[in-house]
Parts: sequence; C-alpha cells; structure tokens
Amino acid sequence: MTTRAAGAVDAIYRLQVGFGLTGRNEMDFNLPAEDDARRLEVRRWFEENPNPTYDQLAKQGYTVPHWPAPWGLSADPELQLIIDDEFERAGVKHPMKINPIAVNQCGQSLLNYGTEELRQRFLPPGLACEELWTMLFSEPSGGSDLGALRTQARRDGDDYIINGQKIWNSLAHKAHVGVILVRTDPTAPKHRGLSMFLIDMKSPGIEVRPILDMSGHEPEYNEVFLTDVRVPASQRVGEEGQGWQIVVEQLQTERMKIANPGAMWGYGPTAHELVYGLIETGKIKDPLIRDEAAGLYAEGELLRLLGARNLSARMNGKPAGLEANLGKMIASPHGQRLSTLAKRAEGVAGMLRDDEELPLPMHDYGMFDTWDYCYWFGPAATLGVGTQEVLKNTISERLLGLPRDLDPTAKMPFNEIGRPELKAAS
Amino acid sequence: MDFTLSDEHLALQDSARNFLTKEVKLEPYLRTEANEQPVARDGLWPSIQALGWPGLVVPEAYGGLGMDYLDLVMIVSEMGRTLAPSPFFGNLAGTWAIERCGSEDQKQALLAQVAAGELTLALAVADPNGDVNGQSSAARATASGDQWKLNGKKSFVVEAGSADKIVVVADIDGQQAFFVVDAKAEGVHIERLDWRDITREVNSITLTDVAAERLPHSDADSWLWIRDRLYLVLAAESTGGAEQSLAETVAYAKERVAFGRPIGFYQSIKHDLAELAGGIELAGAGVQFAAWALSENHPDARKAAAIAQSYASEQYSAMTFRSIQVFGAIGFTWEMHNHLYYKRARANAELLGPPCDQREQLICMLEAEHRAAA
Repeated sequence: MTTRAAGAVDAIYRLQVGFGLTGRNEMDFNLPAEDDARRLEVRRWFEENPNPTYDQLAKQGYTVPHWPAPWGLSADPELQLIIDDEFERAGVKHPMKINPIAVNQCGQSLLNYGTEELRQRFLPPGLACEELWTMLFSEPSGGSDLGALRTQARRDGDDYIINGQKIWNSLAHKAHVGVILVRTDPTAPKHRGLSMFLIDMKSPGIEVRPILDMSGHEPEYNEVFLTDVRVPASQRVGEEGQGWQIVVEQLQTERMKIANPGAMWGYGPTAHELVYGLIETGKIKDPLIRDEAAGLYAEGELLRLLGARNLSARMNGKPAGLEANLGKMIASPHGQRLSTLAKRAEGVAGMLRDDEELPLPMHDYGMFDTWDYCYWFGPAATLGVGTQEVLKNTISERLLGLPRDLDPTAKMPFNEIGRPELKAAS
Repeated sequence: MDFTLSDEHLALQDSARNFLTKEVKLEPYLRTEANEQPVARDGLWPSIQALGWPGLVVPEAYGGLGMDYLDLVMIVSEMGRTLAPSPFFGNLAGTWAIERCGSEDQKQALLAQVAAGELTLALAVADPNGDVNGQSSAARATASGDQWKLNGKKSFVVEAGSADKIVVVADIDGQQAFFVVDAKAEGVHIERLDWRDITREVNSITLTDVAAERLPHSDADSWLWIRDRLYLVLAAESTGGAEQSLAETVAYAKERVAFGRPIGFYQSIKHDLAELAGGIELAGAGVQFAAWALSENHPDARKAAAIAQSYASEQYSAMTFRSIQVFGAIGFTWEMHNHLYYKRARANAELLGPPCDQREQLICMLEAEHRAAA
C-alpha cells in the first residue's frame, strides 16, 4: 500500500466510527493486479506516449479520471489507483503537482456549480496546466473564521467590483486564475452572504506581494490586494450566496489529499524514508530514536490503511467528508514528528541551513524534498487547511455529537456585527 | 480490492454484540465484595461454547468452523467491548499452540473437543520473573523413558483455573518446547494470582514431576506464530474496549453539567476526545489489516500484528485514563465501569510485553528487510 495509492482519491466520504459499510465481497487489501486489463491498457498508453504533455494527459482523461466525460473517465477509485500507480511507474509528473488548485479541489466545483461556458473557458487550460490557479480565501482578519471575511463584491451592470485583501495564497504570483470567496450580501448572516468567482489574476487592481516565511525558502505564500477589480458576472461560480457551501466541499476534498502519512501535508518523505535514513547512518541504534521511529512507522502504516478504508467506503457510494478531518488531525502532527525526529537525529549539524545528514532514497518528493525544509516549514502543517483546534471542534461536534461552540455573531446580519450597542450589551 | 468488511462480517459482529450485550453482567465486579474475593463465574463460558466460538478458527479438518481471523476479530472486539469475563482468551491461546505444534493425532483428538465445547485449554508461557516469551527456563522437561516430566514454575497464565488441559512451554536443554498436561494431574498446583484486572483469572502454576505429552512440531518460529495471533486478539479486545470507553465518556460529557453547560461543550474536554476518536479509528484499521494479513499469510503479517498491538494498547490506555478524568471523581470509584476498562487496558499492555517491545520487534524486522534489500 503506497502513499500515492492512498492519496489518489479526490473524494468525499462519510465516517463510520468502528467499521465501514459494504455490500461487496471479501475484504482484500491487495491493489489491482499487474495483469489487470485496465492496468495494462493504461500502461500501454504511457508506453506509447512516454513524454505526454499535460494537454495530452487531460484529453486522455488521466488528469482527473474520477470526473465524468469529457474531462475524465468516471473512474471508480480502483481505476484511479491504477492510473496513479502507472503515472509513477512511467515517471511522469502528475498535473496535480503543477496545478493542484485546478486539478484537485476547485476545478471540481465547476462540474456542479459552474455554467457550461465557465467549464469550457477554464477547465481545458486549467487541467492542461497552461493556466495556473490560486485560492483566494483567507484574510488577515480571519483564517480559521473564514466566514467572517470582509472582501466585498458589489454588482455593477454586467460586472462585479471587488475590493479587499487576501492572504496565504500559494502560487498567486504565478497564477492566471484566482478562485475567490467574497461577500456579495453584507446584510445576510456571515456564511450566507458569500459568493465564489473566478478572476483573471492579471486584472487591473490586483497586487501580489510574497510573504517570506520562517523557512527562509522561496516564498510559498502571498498577500493579494484587490482594488476596484472588475470581474464579469458570468465568472461567478454558482449563485450568489452559494459561496460557503462550495468552499466547504473544496476544503473537505483538499483535506482528503493531505491526510497521507508524508512529512508535510501528506507530501514529502514518510516514515519509510526516515527509517531508511536512520538505518543507513546507524542512528537507529540509539534506543530512544529507535523507539520513536518505530512508533512513527506504525502510525504511518495505520494512516495509509485509514485512507484505504475510506477509499473503499467511497467505492460503496458513501458521501461526505468527516474522515478528511480525522485523517488530517492525525496526519499533520505525524508529519511534524517525522521531521522533528529526522532533525534530532542529525544532531547539532541539523541546525546548519539545508544540511542533509539523513540520506533519502531516490524518489520524487515534490516540493518538500528535504528533511530540512520539512522541518522548518513544519509548524505550518497544523495551521494550513484547518488548524488542529478547528479540526478537533469539527470532529468532536459533528462526529461525536458533543455540544457546539458558540459564535454569537453567526446569526446576525454581517453588517451589524461589532456595532457599539451590541458590544455594550455583551 | 476492498478494504471494508463484508455483510457476513458485519452480521457476525452484530450477533456477537447482541449476544454479549445481553449476557455479560459486569455488576458483580462493581460491588465492594469483588475487591475482597474473586467474582464467581456465571454461565457465560458454556453459552459461548454452545455458540461454537471456541472452534471459530479451528480448521474444519479438526472439527472447527474454519473461519478466518477477520471473523475472529468481529467476535473478539465485542468481547473486549463488554470485557466478557470468560476463559476465551486462554482457551484460544492453548488451541493455537496445539494447532501449530501438535501431531496429527493430537490435533484430531484435542481440537475437535475444543470446537465441540467439551474441552477448555490454557497456555502457560510466561515465567514468574516476568519473561513473557518463555525464554528463561523456569519450567524444565526431562525425558523419562518415552515420557516427559515437567518441573518448575510458570506464571501469568490466563485462565488456567478453568482449563481442563494446559499447554506448557518448558525447556529441554535450553531449547523451548511445548507440552500438554492435565490440569488435574498429580504434581500440578494452580494458584490464582491477585490480579488487578478482575474480569480475567490469571494464575501461577507449580509443576512437580508432572507427566506431560510433548507437542512434537515446535521450532524456532512456533512461539512467534502463536504470539502474532495473540497480539491480534489483544489488539482487537483493546480496540473494542477503547470504543466502549469512548462511547461511555462522550455520553457522560453530554449529560454532566458544570458552569451552566454540559461539560462536553468545553474545548479541553471535546478536543481530547476528538484526538482519542482518531487514534481509536486508526487502531481499528490496524486490527482489520492484521487480521486480513494473518489470514492470508501475507509477508507483512508479523509487522502488522506488532503494529496493531502496540498502537491499540496505547490507545486503550490513553482512552481509559482520559475517561476517568472526564468523569471526574466519580470515575475513580470502584462502583463505576471506568476502572474495569482501565485495568484491562494496563493488563493488555503488559501481558505479552509492552508496546515498546512490539516496536523493537518492528524495527528489527525493518532492519532485516533493509539488509536483505542491500
């Protein structure tokens, strides 16, 4: 069972504490066989097309196989796993790694919420990685409390005019398309007055500034300032007021991908590579390192299995997302412990910038390809895509049914929040 | 490829749950008398035997139901969930020892009786000094003609008090070997230990020139084969028990009011329970995979068993401790369930070695794989 297998699914599940539901045959953890007819077909395509362009991959349906035609193959999770497997075998970089926002969570929304025009305009260049996408959700005033966002979009004829500020936007400096969540109705309660748009990142009025983070590496995140940015109404995704519903689905999808046992958001080296490095350097002989490495290896395997089980639930047609929260809640700290143990095993030399003491086996680790980067970026793992505190609230409230935390501003019109007479009353 | 349980598995789980929920009575263990003397066993074990559960994984050739380990964990999880005081674990341990090491004749004779509910077994592997892998020669076997005689002591034997026959791990000139003795044979002295987990009976055994039958097919892997399966059973018990502890704790947190709200409203409480819910879910996945892998004789089965046991016992320990904290002082009293689960958790984390032992085994296996790949 491999990381890429458990990570292949771009899906929504319903959690069953205890055992999953079924309808099918015997439990079987074996992946589709080498001589599986579907696998052979995919392998043949890769052999005939050894250096496929992203456009070719998209047209073949391999970029988003689980989507319906004409974009994908309506592939079940088994076929998705096969395709992902064959991507790796062929040594072809998956488009998910180039344009994740389009290929993973946000592009998918256009299937259910977009117009046909919107799909035809944005999906082909998005899936072909010709137009990079960025997410514009969080704001300085609210990351966890996304519903309290302040960026507004005001209707003006056939357009909307957007003013505000976004933050923590990956790829914003390179992106052509921004997926933005804005407030279209300030008189509605906070979650109800939100809408989603696709905007042209080269529009006048958009300014992108990179944010240097503590890792000191090439900035991953940006601030985006929007001043009187015009966007055609035709680029609104779904109806006015549907923004929150859409974004919740996207977050669940994103969390699913992140619940893999890699060092940083499911990506990067895993406990397998950590153990490899510790054995190669002899550091595995230290009893405390040994014990902790074993515990992480065990937990990593269990995270893979959880992903596999959720995968099967998906195959049995179970809807919706709580498992994603559970997986991320465990996987993010798991990743932090991996890179912390790697750093500790490196000793004092580990404090040298980019110094890599533990060898990594040859593999494409994506962006997070050194233990050093994973470690200094690590604190972000439990912040982005849902902090631990938010995830634990969601799990305890929606899964265990414990009483909900209160937000006294949730039901009042957004534009009345923080008014002086209300402050005095509390 | 299917990582979920089949309808048959779920049906078995349901029927086990219904049966045990009705039949297991924990109230006697919560009375103050239980602190002074052992609670008398009721008719639970005969009822379990009548259901055929002791023969669940005994191969059909020897009169059993020949089901796989996924079926087994369906039942064992429910036994863990209810604590089901009975010799099931001890009997299963003895049964596996005979299946692995016995001659054809011995298997035909003994396993069929176990499956029919006519014979209860136990396995004496641990030594009084705490060596749970039976390696310290506390019991020795000497040949006497074509017979064997056992001398010495074994301890921490689960449910020897209910056994008709006991499989004893004893030493022949420094080599580990397996024997069967009659529990009532001359020279066998069984004592009940003052074991904190009162839902199990745990015994010490003193052997003085006890006539024993050897199980001829033991080798260097025998104990490990048995231990893999016992790890699975403990992990399944622990996961079921942890789930029950979580459910009872969540229910309490929704009811108990403090400072104007149900205490489950407070983040310090709900966040801890969310973490534990995640860990227990992971433990469950580990148990299922280990059950499948052992049934398939998968190359990763031994690793899977060690992973399942180490993780499940830690989750069970953490959950049962947290449960007492959430209940507050009342959770600390003898009359509440919490201590029974807490004690089973501690016991399951030590009976066959602590989690760090299983983690050490795991690393040794990974090191061996690394060497082999080089």
